[in-house]
Order: sequence, then structure tokens, then C-alpha cells
Amino acid sequence: MRRFLQLGAVVLAMLVGSGHAQGEGTSSLRTVGVARKGNQLAVSVGLPDLFGPRDVERLLSGFSTRVLIRVALLRDGFSEPVATATRLAEIVYDLWDEKLRVRLSAGKASASETLVVPTAKAAVDAATSLTGFAIADVDTLDARSPYHLSVRADLNPVSDELVTNVRRWLSHPSGHSRAGSADSFFGSFVSVFVNPRIDDSERMLQVTSQSFSLPEGRSP
Amino acid sequence: MRIPVVFLVLALSAYSARAEKSEAAPAAATAEMPELPPDPSFEPSYSLQSIEVRGNRKTATALIVREVGLRVGDVVTANDARVALARLRLLALGYFLDAHLSLVKGSERGQANLIVEVEERGTIILDAIYLGTSDATAVWGGLAATERNLLGRGLSLGGGFVGSTRPDVPHAEPGLAGALRVAGPPAFFSGRLALQASVNASRGSEFFRAQGDDSSANPQDFVAANVRRLGGTFGVGRALSRAFFLLGEARFESLRADLPAERTRVFADGSSTAIPFFVREGASHEGTLGLTLDFDTRTDPVLPRGGHHIALSVEAATSAAASSYGFVKGVAQSSSYFPLRSGHIIGVHGFLGGIAGDAPYFDRFFVGELSSLLPPRSLGLNFSTQPSHNLLGTEIASHRYDNLAGRLLVEYAIPVWSRHGLLYRGDAFAAVGIFAVSNADDLEHRAFGKAVASDLTADLGLRLDTIIGIFTLSVGNAVGRIPF
Repeated sequence: MRRFLQLGAVVLAMLVGSGHAQGEGTSSLRTVGVARKGNQLAVSVGLPDLFGPRDVERLLSGFSTRVLIRVALLRDGFSEPVATATRLAEIVYDLWDEKLRVRLSAGKASASETLVVPTAKAAVDAATSLTGFAIADVDTLDARSPYHLSVRADLNPVSDELVTNVRRWLSHPSGHSRAGSADSFFGSFVSVFVNPRIDDSERMLQVTSQSFSLPEGRSP
Repeated sequence: MRIPVVFLVLALSAYSARAEKSEAAPAAATAEMPELPPDPSFEPSYSLQSIEVRGNRKTATALIVREVGLRVGDVVTANDARVALARLRLLALGYFLDAHLSLVKGSERGQANLIVEVEERGTIILDAIYLGTSDATAVWGGLAATERNLLGRGLSLGGGFVGSTRPDVPHAEPGLAGALRVAGPPAFFSGRLALQASVNASRGSEFFRAQGDDSSANPQDFVAANVRRLGGTFGVGRALSRAFFLLGEARFESLRADLPAERTRVFADGSSTAIPFFVREGASHEGTLGLTLDFDTRTDPVLPRGGHHIALSVEAATSAAASSYGFVKGVAQSSSYFPLRSGHIIGVHGFLGGIAGDAPYFDRFFVGELSSLLPPRSLGLNFSTQPSHNLLGTEIASHRYDNLAGRLLVEYAIPVWSRHGLLYRGDAFAAVGIFAVSNADDLEHRAFGKAVASDLTADLGLRLDTIIGIFTLSVGNAVGRIPF
């Protein structure tokens, strides 16, 4: 019995170790431009690698493509963001007008901006780039602290409710689990052997910026 | 024993801290989604002239088109919510690695042809692996698997079997059980009725103590009732809403029981009593009608971070359903999950069941399914004589099949993986709980403290959500399948 538990502990620890190694690759380091725009802290970063070649082709599918970028400003050494901002981009190709339009919105509906772009690549650049994107009022930040940014981009985000329902269906294809059956709470070794990944977006890219100090002075 | 546990706790704690750090960045894709104002130039609409499905070598085109939910003549817009839903519905079938919808110009302005592209995948699922050994049975093994897209029609056909060596209990026979289950096309989203049917057959022995101390698992202290079962179920279910699912099920079984010649339990003081076998000798039948209401608001069915899951069921067997047994069985199960600020999750699981009447032993509450430290039944067969470990000093060791059962279990889960490669997510968990069993006779004739027997249960391990399936690697899973 003791030998079995010791073996189990080693296997479990190995699994933990392998998971750790995989976890470090999820958020890559990327240089982000940081500037002061009035009293706002503004950032500039490009995330075109959110799109794969097939995703670029699908921009001409006739259906809209959405890109949600979320930026979090964090003090170095802290996990709670001091400020967050989001930007939503929508790309639509009109089959009959043969025009590719990009619409950008950074919060309020009235603040949206519409572009007509010549190519799919230009649409990707517009949707995945933040240029002078305001994320926080500098006056509310501690000028002596070093900061970094965490940026996450999602391609075609899906509502949590929909994802939950799909996942529920996948794990219980008949829609229920019979109460009082022989299935114990702790489950079996294996429950399902095919498990397509249903995420809250089609693709996700997460990057972390370099550490930086708040820019001094005011720019026009 | 102490060293590995400390090692595990330290390793999991260290990993947990790293996992939390990596998730400090924006997490939910849909939170704080900015609004986009209405704009006609972003809402070009098209009348569907045709629907073409590509990439389906096995799955019937009609099934895919039905699941997409769009028809020729429908008007769709670039932002049509039905399109996003259709893609997820196709993925949720489990038949495809990927699915995409696109439009191409139709023959006239304003018209378009809808192209549905799918990439098929294997659809055979390994549902369960049955494997174990006990004092009574040297080894048992088997598995259950399901083809979820039979003939490309969306039918689900599953089968399982389990077999064992001959148990060491006198006159016991080797266990052998098989089950087949067929279910109609997925109906979760469509609102259609979900049909399912199953057949099961088994032969094997159930063990009843004839002598010896209650805490002993010595097979020679038991006698065997050899029971053959052949039956089936038919069920009709329907999703009432996003959270509610209702299932009605009819079950019928034909039984043949050969009871042992020795039918008396002899105690240490020389007294004796008749062994209750809870099954009719010779041929008998069981017919039941059942209803289950399922309420599920969990954030995830595998590794929930919040929400509730409640299942209420009632099953009745009467002579009107050609049953030799008459009973009513009610079961209530609940699970609630509470996220903590640290990202860890507390789960509270409750189970309450009661049976009024004369139910066969296999429909009663089995101690092996209340405690994680005992072997559970496999396809209805029990292969162990192991009593509960009696950590509370009650009379639990004398209980195996009861009419009343309850359990409260608290679980603490720590996320240790998230969204990485082939391993989608994983939780380390520790659970501790208490369960109690009793029956109407004991409650009527004995003091409450003696009539109700209870014990502790616990578990520690990992739940993994991976590309090839959902796994539970736990101490309970291990010790429940070996003599302990």
C-alpha cells in the first residue's frame, strides 16, 4: 500500500512538473511602445500574429470577424491590474460591393471609427494594432513604481453562456446524468476519449510587455 | 506515507502560485466587451440561394444542414448570431475538429450561397475502464466505448463489458456483464425529444456475510447469491431550458437468482439470524418507471468554477409494470461551487436517497458508491467483500445495501493548469466527507445512534481535461480498486 502511494506521488509530481513547463509558454514577452498623451498613458503594440493564414482568408467569408483586445496595466510584483482598457474591432467584407470595412470601438458606442481598407492584410493590421491607445490617467498612477502591461487578444470571442452549454453537451451527450447511478462522485479513470476544445474564442494571443517607468512631461 | 503527501502538497502549492500569476492577465474574452453602434454598412444582408457542405466524408449532409439551422431562402446578415451558434453546434456534436461557415456571391445581387466546411474526426469514445482486485476477486476488468456518429447519422451506439475471475467466496461464479446503449441524434440545442434505449445482461454473485466479524473481508465468511439479469431501458428526455433537463425512463428486467444453501448469519455469541438477500429466489421480474429533473448552472461540467448542479429523481416499481418488486426510490443530489479570491474553488456536494418498499439489492444504496475508499460496482456487478473502514467507530462495517443513504462532501480545488497545449485544464483537489446509511427496520427497532451508521470518506488527486479525454487521477480511485 505504501509503495503504491509513493509511486502515485512521484507520478503526480511529474505531472505537476510537466504542466509547469507548458504553462510558461503561454504569455510571450513583447516590446510595447509607451508614451504620454496629454494626461493619459498611451500604448502602442501590434498583434497581427493572432491571425493564421486561414483566418486571413476567412476575412472574405462574408461574415463578420471580431477582434477583442484587452490591456491591463500592472505594477511590477503585483497581480491585480491598476487599470484596464478594451478595444473591439469588427471586419466585414461586402460580397457585392467588394469592400472590406473595419470598425474600431474603444468602449462607448459613440467612440467608434470606421475604415475602408484595400486588402485583408490591411484589415488585420488595423484590427490587431493599438496605436497611442489610452489606458490610464497618469495622475492616478505612482510615478516611482515600475509597471508592465499584459495584453490579450481574442479572435471571434464567444459568450460564456454559449461555451458553457456546448461544454455541458460534450460531457453529457444525452443531456443528463442519471441520479443514483453507479457513477460515483469521484468518477472513473477515464470519462471521455474525444474532447474537442471549445474555448471562449477561436484563437487567443497573450503577451506581456517589458517593465517600464511612467514617461515624464506632457506631449501634445 | 507522510513524505509523499507533504511532497505532493508542496509541489501543488508551488505550481498553484505560478498558475495564478500567469492568469493575472485579462482572463475572460467576453468581459467588458465594448459596444458597436448600429451601422448598415456593417450589416450587408443576403438571401441564401443554396447551402453546400464540404469535407464530410462520413457524416450525412442532411444532419449537418439541420444542425446549422439555416435554410435556402433565409436572409442572413454579416453579424448574424445564428452563424456563430451554428459553428458551435457543429463542434458540440463531437464529430468535427473544426467547422466554418462562409458565403460566396449568388447569381443575383443580394443573393449568396452558404458554404459549410467541416473537418471530421474519429468519433469512438472510451467511456470507462473497469479494473480492480479485491480480497474476494483476484482480478476484474473491462471497458465501455461508444461510437457517437453511427453510419454518419448522428446515432450513438455504446457498449461495455466487464468480466472477473471466480471469486473466492464459496459457490460464487465468475462475473460477466455487458450493456448496449443506443441514443438518437443530439437534441440539446434543437429542442427535439432525446430518445435513448439500452439492454443489459449480467451474471455474477453478490456476497452476503454468514459469519465472522463485521470488519473482516475474508471471503470464506461470506456466501454467494448467484444472480442472472437481462433487461433494458427506454428513455425520452427534453431540454426544458438552458438549465433544466427532464428525462422519463422505463426499465424492465428479468431475474433468476440461485440462493445459497446456507442462509443463516451466525454471530460470535452463537446466535443466528436469517440473511436478507433482497432478491427473490428463482425467476422474478422488475419493472419501473422513473423521472429525473436535472438543473445545471455550472460554469463547466468538468472543472466548474461556480454554479450549481441539482438532480432529483424518482423511480417506482409496481405490479402494474409487471414487477415482482414494489418500491419507490427517490434521490436528490446537489453540487455547488464557490470561487474564492485566490482562484481556488470550494465545492459542496450533497446526496440524499430513500427507498420505501421491497427493492432488490442492486437498486439499494451500496456502500461502495458512498465511500471513495471502496470499490464501486462495475456495470452493476460487485466484486468485493470489503466493508467500510469504520473511521468513526459506528456499525458501518455491517452495512452493504441500505434503503436510506446520505452524504455531505466538501472539496477544495486548486487550478494548476489552464489552456496549455494538449492539456486544457487541470485541478488538484482534496475532498473530505461523511456519509450515513440506515434502513426502516433499524430506525423502527433501535435507538437512533445505533440505527444510523456513518463513516468518513476522503480523496486527493488531479482532474485533467485533455485533448484525449477527462481523467481523474486520485488516491480514492487507486485504493478503491485494490485491497485496503
